[in-house]
Amino acid sequence: MSGEIIPRTIMEFLTPRLGARLKTWLSICAHCGMCADTCHFYLAHNRDPKMIPSYKIRFINDIIKKYGGVDREYLQEIYKTVYYECNMCRRCTLYCPFGIDIAMMISLLRAMLLSQGMAPQGLLAAINNYKESGNQMNISDEEWVETVQWIEEEMSEELVGLTVPIDKHGAKIMYTVNAREPKFYPQDMMEVAKIFYVAGEDYTYCSQPGWDDTNLAMFAGDVQTARTIVENVFKRADELGVEKVAVTECGHAFRAVKYEAPGWLGYTPKQEVVHSVELFHDYIRDGRIKLRHKIKEPTTVQDPCNVVRNGGLMDKNRRLAEMLSEDFRPMKLQGNYSYCCGGGGGAMPMGGEMKKYRLQSGKIKAEQIRETGAKIIFVPCHNCIDQIRDLNKEYDLGVKAIHFKEAIAELMVIPEHMKPKEQAEDDE
Amino acid sequence: MNFYSFVEGPLLWTAFLVFIIGCVMRAVTFYTESRTKDKVIHEQFKWGYVLSTIFRWLLPLNVTVRKNPVYSVLTYTFHICLLAVPIFLAGHISLWEESVFAVSWPALPQNVADWMTLAFLGIAVFLLLRRIFSADIRLISTFSDYFLLVVTALPFLTGYFATHGTLNHVAFLGDNMMLFHMLSGELMLILIPFTKLSHIILFFFSRASAAVEFGRRGYSI
Repeated sequence: MSGEIIPRTIMEFLTPRLGARLKTWLSICAHCGMCADTCHFYLAHNRDPKMIPSYKIRFINDIIKKYGGVDREYLQEIYKTVYYECNMCRRCTLYCPFGIDIAMMISLLRAMLLSQGMAPQGLLAAINNYKESGNQMNISDEEWVETVQWIEEEMSEELVGLTVPIDKHGAKIMYTVNAREPKFYPQDMMEVAKIFYVAGEDYTYCSQPGWDDTNLAMFAGDVQTARTIVENVFKRADELGVEKVAVTECGHAFRAVKYEAPGWLGYTPKQEVVHSVELFHDYIRDGRIKLRHKIKEPTTVQDPCNVVRNGGLMDKNRRLAEMLSEDFRPMKLQGNYSYCCGGGGGAMPMGGEMKKYRLQSGKIKAEQIRETGAKIIFVPCHNCIDQIRDLNKEYDLGVKAIHFKEAIAELMVIPEHMKPKEQAEDDE
Repeated sequence: MNFYSFVEGPLLWTAFLVFIIGCVMRAVTFYTESRTKDKVIHEQFKWGYVLSTIFRWLLPLNVTVRKNPVYSVLTYTFHICLLAVPIFLAGHISLWEESVFAVSWPALPQNVADWMTLAFLGIAVFLLLRRIFSADIRLISTFSDYFLLVVTALPFLTGYFATHGTLNHVAFLGDNMMLFHMLSGELMLILIPFTKLSHIILFFFSRASAAVEFGRRGYSI
């Protein structure tokens, strides 16, 4: 990116966005350094002072002092910091004596960069796809519907009477996925089709944009696109008259739809938003799904930042893992205070340019996983699972990362009447 | 009116007014500005989360105290002395008694106030050295961090010297110690609303904001 920076445009972007909280934080940060060792980047970079969270947001005060008079090189420095050195996981906020939300300021800086035409290619490509087709993989509506129908065909051979409803009016739940699932991981949709069928869930997919709940625009600070994405989701939910919107095992999508949407939309949608972890947890707890047996190998569970710390599902996430395991081994830091895996905040979809940084910052999580001695790690997030699979290779952890749905689909009891004839006979 | 009576009269009044009105303004500005730009904290506001976070962090009952116990003991002590000594010093209370307000309250025993002052100054020196010698803290420190630490420590240092006559034999300093004491105290009061020292009031708003943000996720911080 080249071109001259016009200070006025920078200030015109920043000034209206500096609310009461941001101004307060920028003026009261005491530079006490308590946030330093809460950051996985700081720890993974051998306690490099440049990785201290409060240092990463120094740019805002600096730009204000200079009335926006900065050059492209300076913006490049900001870019490196806000994209390569922060996953916006918000762990530091929990330890800050003032509760300063560093991630919110990183997000503002990313948005400011975007206003000057700077954002990672990976995120920009996804944003273009959202604008064109409503989903990050640019899948056409026809292709999407065909995929759902194909999954129904495949799965109805496995379970008698199984259907995969699409545009079913008045269903209880509208289930939304990550566009990666129809594109690369249809088994995710197959597993969930089985789980919903066995649990007797009244759900539906929607055929039009809104079925992909991911929101990569959020990571680049593109609020307009981010808003359109959640608007689509709730438009479909309204049309179908569902009570709840359920989100696949994806972290940032859940956060966007549940916690960021009201701010972007200016109103609170009437549908309740639930994450797959909650659904699966409740199915097993309530006996709607029974397990043939639990996993015997040692297991542990990943706490995705946007499902746990920023999603509030700490207890259900862990209990679900426990319900599926005979030998559950928590990490040293499990729950709201757990470390980010290094794949959050857009690090995964940024692709190659981010790879070496995320492999390095993931070291802390990798060590925590290794210490458990687990052979299987449940990961209810698409970004985390890719990152943890990469960490597994990089740090030789000997662990298999799976979504909860994979384990549940494999372990659950299939009622007799759902088993195809031949198989039922084989079982006898 | 000579300079001394100006400092102990009108300037003192001014300093107190700037401090009080300034802090009230910071609070009012936060409230009004957040109504339009930080709607979420108003929409999701719950006293339970707000009170519990303030309780946890005013008292040493939080995660950071467990993470950094030594630093926490020092900084909590620092703040307790910073508030308690000026308010409960017998010498200060007698001034309130003589003032137009004619109010009074119990004082700290003199030797306790002395020890608290020394503890405060000791910790201030530690914080200064930490800023200078810790690579981490040095990098994130700005000029105002050093300056305000000195500004905050000066009233204590000069107060201690004035009460104990430590530097009485040094002509100029000895003669004017009480003047320096008042001036430095007034400087601190005036700077509070305009610097990071405004956390004396904004601490509550900042913590409340964070508590609401995580409270709407169903947990208390």
